[in-house]
Amino acid sequence: MDQGISLLSALKSQMGWLSDRQKVVSQNVANASTPGFKPKDLAPLDFAALMSGQSAPVVPTIRLMDGTPLAAPDATAHGSKQITSPDSETTMDGNSVVLEEEMLKMSDSRQNFEAAVGFYEKAQDLIRMAAKAPGK
Amino acid sequence: MLSPLVSDQTTAVAVSALKAQQARMRIVAENLANADSTATTKGGDPYRRQVPVFTTSKIDGATGVKLAQVVPDQTAFVQEYDPSNPAADANGNVKRPNVDPLMETMDMRDAQRAYEANISVIENASAMTEKTLDILSK
Repeated sequence: MDQGISLLSALKSQMGWLSDRQKVVSQNVANASTPGFKPKDLAPLDFAALMSGQSAPVVPTIRLMDGTPLAAPDATAHGSKQITSPDSETTMDGNSVVLEEEMLKMSDSRQNFEAAVGFYEKAQDLIRMAAKAPGK
Repeated sequence: MLSPLVSDQTTAVAVSALKAQQARMRIVAENLANADSTATTKGGDPYRRQVPVFTTSKIDGATGVKLAQVVPDQTAFVQEYDPSNPAADANGNVKRPNVDPLMETMDMRDAQRAYEANISVIENASAMTEKTLDILSK
């Protein structure tokens, strides 16, 4: 199975990680008033290592025929690992979600996602240019 | 059966929170509206404040939130001396509802803030999906 062009597959992994992170952030924000809820985050993705081929690209989760995923229980759809966020403020009912931090994570992920999409489009343009017949 | 897309899960979780916060606002409105509702019988109990209880709930495989139950607030009623009131007992004391309008107002602010945060999550998720679809148009 070919690995694909390393920049494109690294960007794909990055985009997958970022959209998983948005899901985790949305779970935290939804449960900002739920007693006892601890916010989660994702283990950071080392893009430089992905690019240089040092870490394997994140592969989509393998699923069984009936749709049950074969991934570990704490893995997300793109194979990223969930961790519990370090405690910042725990209120008396045990909830430690800080909305401001979640908003910050969300806008950070969104900007990185838009940057990744931009790079992906540029990489595709380069490939198209390289694939054009000479003189056309 | 296709498993849900991550961006669909994100939106579904935020929508579950919108519903829960709306339900919470409704309870705040009921409490505020009944902040002065004393009993109709002599010495009876007045309106008892209601408290919403949230729990996590599985939405499309992700962790959303739902209003699990509404429990009555067990804080004792304050007695007020008002013999002319139809709810006054033998000593002329009337039990007042255990609703503090200031607490309800703060609850309302919190619900509104949470609601806005969840709307913002939905907007972000849909902007990211649009950006992804833009790749196709190139």
